[in-house]
Amino acid sequence: MVLSFAVVGLAGPRLKRLEYGGWVAVGFAGAALVVGALIAAGEMLNPGQYTNAQYTWFQLPAAPGVFPHGFELVAGTLVDPISALMLLVVTVVGFVVMLYSIDYMHHDRGLARYYAELSLFLAAMTGLVIANNLFEFFVFWELVGVCSYFLIGFYYEKPSASSAAKEAFLVTRVGDVMFLLGIFLYFYNYAVLGPANGWAANGFVFVNGNQPFLAGVMGGNSTLLTVAGIMILGGAAGKSAQFPLHVWLPDAMEGPTTVSALIHAATMVAAGVYLLAVTSLFLGFTATDQLLIVAVGGFTTFFAATMAVVHPDIKRVIAYSTISQLGYMVLAIGAGFAMVGLFHLFTHAFFKALLFLAAGSVIHAVGTQDLFKMGGLRKPMRLTAAAFAIGGLALSGIPPFAGFWSKDDILAAVYSQLGSHPAYWPFFLLAFAAVFLTAYYIFRAWFLAFSGDGPRDPTLAPAHEGSWVMQVPLIVLSALAVGSGLLIFWPNFQTLLLSGAGAAGIPPVYGPTDLLLSGASVALGVAGIGLAWTLWGNGKVYALSETSVAQPIRRLLLNRYYFKVGYDWIGARGVYSVARAADFVDQFVIDGTVHGFERMFAALSERLRRIQSGFVSDYAAYVVAGLIAVFVLLLLVAPYLVSMAGGG
Amino acid sequence: MLPLLSLTLATLLVGTLGTFFAGARARWVALATSILFLLEVALLFLNYSGWPGYNGSLVPGFSESESYAWIHLSWLQINYTVGVDGISLVFVLLTAILQIATVVYSWGETRRPGAYFGLVLLTCLGSFGVFVALDILLFFLFWEAVLVPMFFLIGHWGGPHRRYAALKFFVYTHVASIVMLVGLLALVFYSGATSFDFAAVYASARSLAAVPQTFLFLALFFGFGVKFPIVPFHTWLPDAHVEAPTGGSVLLAGLLLKLGGYGLIRWAVELLPSGLHTTQPLLFFIAFLSIVWGSVLSLSQRDLKRLVAYSSINHMGIVLLAIALDSSLGLIAAVLLMFAHGIVSGLLFMTSGSVHHTFGTRDIPSVGGITPTTPALSTMIMAGSLASLGLPALISFPAEFTALLATWNGLHYWVFVPLGILVVTAAFYLWMMQRLLFGPPKGIPREAHDVPWYEGAGMGILVLFTILFGILPGLLVNVIVSSPIRGWPGT
Repeated sequence: MVLSFAVVGLAGPRLKRLEYGGWVAVGFAGAALVVGALIAAGEMLNPGQYTNAQYTWFQLPAAPGVFPHGFELVAGTLVDPISALMLLVVTVVGFVVMLYSIDYMHHDRGLARYYAELSLFLAAMTGLVIANNLFEFFVFWELVGVCSYFLIGFYYEKPSASSAAKEAFLVTRVGDVMFLLGIFLYFYNYAVLGPANGWAANGFVFVNGNQPFLAGVMGGNSTLLTVAGIMILGGAAGKSAQFPLHVWLPDAMEGPTTVSALIHAATMVAAGVYLLAVTSLFLGFTATDQLLIVAVGGFTTFFAATMAVVHPDIKRVIAYSTISQLGYMVLAIGAGFAMVGLFHLFTHAFFKALLFLAAGSVIHAVGTQDLFKMGGLRKPMRLTAAAFAIGGLALSGIPPFAGFWSKDDILAAVYSQLGSHPAYWPFFLLAFAAVFLTAYYIFRAWFLAFSGDGPRDPTLAPAHEGSWVMQVPLIVLSALAVGSGLLIFWPNFQTLLLSGAGAAGIPPVYGPTDLLLSGASVALGVAGIGLAWTLWGNGKVYALSETSVAQPIRRLLLNRYYFKVGYDWIGARGVYSVARAADFVDQFVIDGTVHGFERMFAALSERLRRIQSGFVSDYAAYVVAGLIAVFVLLLLVAPYLVSMAGGG
Repeated sequence: MLPLLSLTLATLLVGTLGTFFAGARARWVALATSILFLLEVALLFLNYSGWPGYNGSLVPGFSESESYAWIHLSWLQINYTVGVDGISLVFVLLTAILQIATVVYSWGETRRPGAYFGLVLLTCLGSFGVFVALDILLFFLFWEAVLVPMFFLIGHWGGPHRRYAALKFFVYTHVASIVMLVGLLALVFYSGATSFDFAAVYASARSLAAVPQTFLFLALFFGFGVKFPIVPFHTWLPDAHVEAPTGGSVLLAGLLLKLGGYGLIRWAVELLPSGLHTTQPLLFFIAFLSIVWGSVLSLSQRDLKRLVAYSSINHMGIVLLAIALDSSLGLIAAVLLMFAHGIVSGLLFMTSGSVHHTFGTRDIPSVGGITPTTPALSTMIMAGSLASLGLPALISFPAEFTALLATWNGLHYWVFVPLGILVVTAAFYLWMMQRLLFGPPKGIPREAHDVPWYEGAGMGILVLFTILFGILPGLLVNVIVSSPIRGWPGT
């Protein structure tokens, strides 16, 4: 299929160490974009599941009691409305980021490495999106992870960068391990225990997406299914930086800004949400799982938003907003509306990429990420200021910008499920409150960077816009940040959201309550912007007084609730101390025992030396005696032992 | 039909002898032998008949089998019997790959090259023999034939404490071999077989009662297990590796540890199913212990080679776990994992050797930021580490995935032990890379430059196979499962 071309093509620049490798990569990304758009168009017109190009890694024949339906590991492609939607996100954002990189990265060393890794990153994400089974999904999932490891640590001479890369890999690894167990559990449930119709009998293949295998319906073991769901949630939480595995994402800002844009919009973190969506649609979560997912998502939206409120680094503010927005998606999936979550992923990808690229534009111009040094940038950088503002409005959920439609869908969707469990309430309220914080922190960032008369730090370089390759992406993404939400009213686009999902994905109907909800959330958003204006507007800098009761809270937030400190302590102190102790035991207890034996034998041999008379006949006697002893052992003692033990 | 296995043995034998006497040209003879060996192994693969048991083979279940009378007594027959099945074929391929990679990597060896390359070839010859022998005495001969060259490789070309390490290695493995030999002989005599041939022992041993099977299994497990190595009989391994020359380390980790695993499968698991069944809890315990111990200890190592050595204990622990599961999936995983570990640990030992040559030390904290100085070497270290921590598209992943899935099927939530340790394994590799490869340059001698071409080529061969079989593991798995899988459950 053409898509395999896209996958191979994207990895192509790995081989080509051309000076213009960047343009080669952009070319391939463009080709992938065309293919992605064509596939999405095809799915809009002709929704359905198309699977082909299956390659068997290996297989075992069926064995009763072990694998009643055999066992197969395959790699294949599956194109359905959901993957078409994701493909669109990945290829559009990927192409735009590639293009932007040409100018943004031109002064860096190691560009061949950069484009090769970026291409592989996109290729892995594409592969993940079109994978037709969980095993293959995991393969690409790990590749996405390792590419982000490379790219976060792109400036490897910087200790902080290589440390952040390691942190990202390790924290997501914790999730990956859980994901792996989740795969085993689902496989065991459906392919070994279950009747295995629908779920591909002998492998991990997704089929028949319209009939989720909900626990009970399939007669599976519901405890196992619950644990499996929790494990999948763990994997997704690692990748999508959900509480409590969120720590790596802000530190991942050590990579180039383009990489951050890609990680936050289309690849890496999107993979986690996509996993949850796919699992929810194809495999099903139990009610307990759903509650847990809602809890994790709802809590994370608020939790991450609070940390964004105080941060002075423009990229990190956006990073926290990503965690928070991912929380909304997770929340929607938990409430049973996977497609609503994916719709938010779709719109979020564009406005988040826009925010990052606009921030990148600022950083490129002024050479700092500290918001308190910037100021008044709207004059020299009109386009960037406008783009950031559009992104901010979309993020805050102000109509008609994209974020409004999808976030509102999520709130309405969760609202419609409040009756199903009382424990949904607090998380719904947290998510609602986060709307206010979101609007506040993103406009705080905007006012700090762009409003006022001029930079607060006079040593900053005079700002200027980037070249056209940096401007075009901003314009394209701005258009998408406005328009991608409105796509929901286009019937063909609705097809993508509706036909892939069956009952699990229908966006809620707009009724009077929903209008009320929308009104409330927009009001909260506007209030947030208003507060930001009062405190930071027009170049003002709001300083919290040193004696304020809010100071400890501010410190707590700036220190990220001490999660990172805690994890570092566990890793560096806890595990490493255990390792040191084990090393001690290994050297002095285990090997010490060995040395003890050695000394004992040395002493023994000193005495035995007297036996060594030097006469051959003596030795012969010893040999015979030894042989007799061996035979006695073998023939008499051993059978006796055997009979003692009751066998024979 | 061509007696392909004997021909290969003869090639290796002639090549080894030739190398010993070739003096300064030894490396060329060794290279020629290795290429010939690789070609013959390729021929073996081409010739390999999928289900050899039904092809009129002399020894049921084995392809290319040959059998000639050796020592025939009235009550006992000892034959020269060789043959391969899917499992041994995979190990034979591993031997050929590691041999050529080691010879190329060691191209610059100047200290008595004739003896050095000769001993390298002799080690591979012995390992090849172990993998194809189907007679107990023949097997034991080859088994012992591996120890001697390795003893000299460590003892003569090794580091400052080479004598201690070589002796420790020899004493440990030799004591283990004696126990193993007693176990094998007892196996023959208790089962009442009148021949040392695998087929004969197989026919009689499997019907033994559970208790004698258990005793026999324990003896064999100890014999093979020390080679693995299992905790707590593992302390010879780090010492031997640290002192051994790079080529010796590669063969030690890549082949010698596999002898234990192969031996356990062929001469214990296949022959003594009830013995395996009754000792399962013990095996699980030791496997978990090795997995945890190896990984946690790697975290605290400063010496790059010690780190890789302890990670071997961890990986071989997973192999033991997979074997002990007593399922066909587990056995496939074990074989695949051993192949993967052979290639990857070989690669990692080569990189640590190169780090030592280039920077004069393997102490991780005292060197740092080497990537700008030695980009090729850094790439190899990264490839090896990522492969070893189980990155997909590299060879260890399909093996680990299968092993862990089999563990879930057999032991359910106990799988958390090896799964959780995967995080620690990732941690020590990533931490090592962070300190050694990244960050500002530190402790780099002025004259340091990237690895010479032959070291790069030797590592390149292994990287090539790491990727090839990582993407196409089916090439190996199809060979493994094509064996009749004697006595494997579920088939």
